[in-house]
Amino acid sequence: MNPTSPSSDLRGTTLINHWQAGVPVTTGRVLTPLLAFLMALAAIGLVLAGIRVVSPLGPFSAMNSVYAWGIWKTFNVMTLTALGSGPLALGIAAWVFNRQKLHVVMRTALVSGFLFYATGLIALGFDVGRPWNFYSAAMPWRWNSESAMLEISICMPLYCAVFLSFEILPLFLERLYYTGSAKSQAFLRHISPRIRKAYPFVIIGAYVIPLMHQSSLGGLLLLAGDKVNPLWQSPAMPWLYLIAAALCGFSFTTLLLLIVCLRYGRKLDQDVLTELANLLSGLCFFFLLVRAVDLFWRGQLHRAFALDMMSLLFLLESSLILIPAVALRFRRLRETPRVLLNLSVLACLGGMLYRFIPTSIAYKPMRSTSYFPSAPELVMAVGYISMGIVAFVFAINYFAVLPGEASAWDHAYRPFGWRRRNVAPKTLSLTPVTALERGA
Amino acid sequence: MSLLTVALTRRQAFKAMFGIGSTAISVAMPREAMASEEHPAHPVAPPDAVAMLYDSTLCTGCKACMPACNEANGLAADTLLSGGIWDMPTGLNSQTKNIIELYEDPKSDEFAFVKKQCMHCLDPACVTGCPFGSLAKVEFGAVTWNSSLCIGCRYCEVACPFEVPQFQWESWNPKIVKCEFCYDQRLKEDLQPACTAACPTGAVIFGKRDALLDQAKGRIAAAPDQYYENRVYGEHEAGGTQVLYLSAVSFQKIGLPKLGNTSLGHYATKVTSVIYKWLGGPLLMAGVLGFAIRRNWNRHELERLQHEKETGFPDQL
Repeated sequence: MNPTSPSSDLRGTTLINHWQAGVPVTTGRVLTPLLAFLMALAAIGLVLAGIRVVSPLGPFSAMNSVYAWGIWKTFNVMTLTALGSGPLALGIAAWVFNRQKLHVVMRTALVSGFLFYATGLIALGFDVGRPWNFYSAAMPWRWNSESAMLEISICMPLYCAVFLSFEILPLFLERLYYTGSAKSQAFLRHISPRIRKAYPFVIIGAYVIPLMHQSSLGGLLLLAGDKVNPLWQSPAMPWLYLIAAALCGFSFTTLLLLIVCLRYGRKLDQDVLTELANLLSGLCFFFLLVRAVDLFWRGQLHRAFALDMMSLLFLLESSLILIPAVALRFRRLRETPRVLLNLSVLACLGGMLYRFIPTSIAYKPMRSTSYFPSAPELVMAVGYISMGIVAFVFAINYFAVLPGEASAWDHAYRPFGWRRRNVAPKTLSLTPVTALERGA
Repeated sequence: MSLLTVALTRRQAFKAMFGIGSTAISVAMPREAMASEEHPAHPVAPPDAVAMLYDSTLCTGCKACMPACNEANGLAADTLLSGGIWDMPTGLNSQTKNIIELYEDPKSDEFAFVKKQCMHCLDPACVTGCPFGSLAKVEFGAVTWNSSLCIGCRYCEVACPFEVPQFQWESWNPKIVKCEFCYDQRLKEDLQPACTAACPTGAVIFGKRDALLDQAKGRIAAAPDQYYENRVYGEHEAGGTQVLYLSAVSFQKIGLPKLGNTSLGHYATKVTSVIYKWLGGPLLMAGVLGFAIRRNWNRHELERLQHEKETGFPDQL
């Protein structure tokens, strides 16, 4: 990444450039009461998931053969992986479109994205009815190449287990470098140039594969045909799902950065946040444009303003995206952290609604059954989400995830809140140590 | 020095060639795809396609087909509603592959029976969606389910426009329950399906699809205004099905959905089959992205070394 030099405080706000490197959180307790509560929720969710393994799906969920996909698929996977598309959206902006400023927040996006995908995949693992047959994934001759479901069931685990894991590997190696023995440090010095060699090639896969499966998530619903309301059922759905993923990726990363910086009392960085806000606004406009052209093209524009339930949902979803799109055009608004936070919440909600509605609310099969998630289903879904939050809090406390001032990087004294094993804590000199150290 | 530059250029040239090659392939793809389309909009029935013709006006609602089906498929009777006395399912469910339903208009005395089972579409959406080919269209056009390939994702239930596949929610080893045209049980042994064999009134009959379609049209021609819309349901619906319906009352009233004539498989895969043919689209994308990433990476590396020299802070990936 390319650390920026602090810029002058133009408008007398607190927004000056403070993000130069990933710096772990070293202040305050890790285990707060809220975190303990979330851990308890995650534990309850996991216990229920464990019971689900030895029990059929029926007693657990309210799903039925008409509404065959419950909240685990429609929310934990279809909706939340859109929020977890930060690594895709920011990565492409940073590495393909050369938005250098975004490199400093990539780690935040990567860790949150990894956790969304990981928890989504766990949810999926407990949702499928015959998981023992999944070994077919390793046998390409069994693949039904025209199935969007195949693309998702192969690419999602592959992306999470190989590409995202590779991208967050430097976090672990860096920590090992600062806390490990001399031998492990020598090994890391040996291995990190190799990781750098492979990195530009691996990230090609890390962008192509989510482009494929995020669009396939929309492609899934094409086969559902008339069951999905015509406001959403469209041949453009794969593209819209992809754009919504990018939109959610940008807005959620902005939101997350603002929230954690508030929580841990970190200073913000105007340049990076402005970059994110500009890209978010552009994507919101692009999404609405594609949506409008698609509706017009299919001649369904009248439904959008029929003011029935579906039309109101559509208008809600569109206005949730339109408000940040317009508001972020104004410098005054975009440079006020509180407004930016609120607008990114709106954009997140809009994108999530677009991803959630076609699979659930606008999904109306002809048989008159209904679906509302049962209590264990909801508890498990909440449990997976809390698991992700808990893991994120641990990650930012023990790894250099969150962006901060490079000078806050206190290598010698308190690396990651842990004392270095073989260096006496007396050596407080900063630059001589770091000059030789190269993070992976 | 010149060797070094050549090596770099060569890599870039390789990327560019890769990109151009993939573009050419993906441009050439559509024509190729059209020539031998896997999911035509209006599929043609293969010559060995069998079918069922169900004439709602002939059905007396005796339900003889239901126990016959249960017996042939080894299904237990659904006695939940009848207090353990007789088979009384409320619809297709995890132990009912075939059911006779009654439609009754509460205002007039209009009524009709309807037989529900898998429609054995010519281009089934469930088969298109099934990730590992557990559901497959086999000999005679029967759509069958293979327990050893199914992962239980239930995409078939989302995809099926007739809402036929049923998942065993109460089972530890859940199966997808759907009519398989008695393929394993009877069709293979040159026997007709259990339901058509059991039908006493000839309301549901078995035969080649072409012959049955002719027969159905013959019945319509013989009694011009007896049948709803004077047409056969299933001739064109969702690209055509191998179960054909004749009815005196509206098809939608007896629970057959109003569907377009294009097969869902065609609608869902007409774009993706071009993009994903021989992975052309993803490879092209990889080429384009790789080119840009490589260029930006090299710039980034130069800046990184410069920065490390200046500040002493290591770069983080």
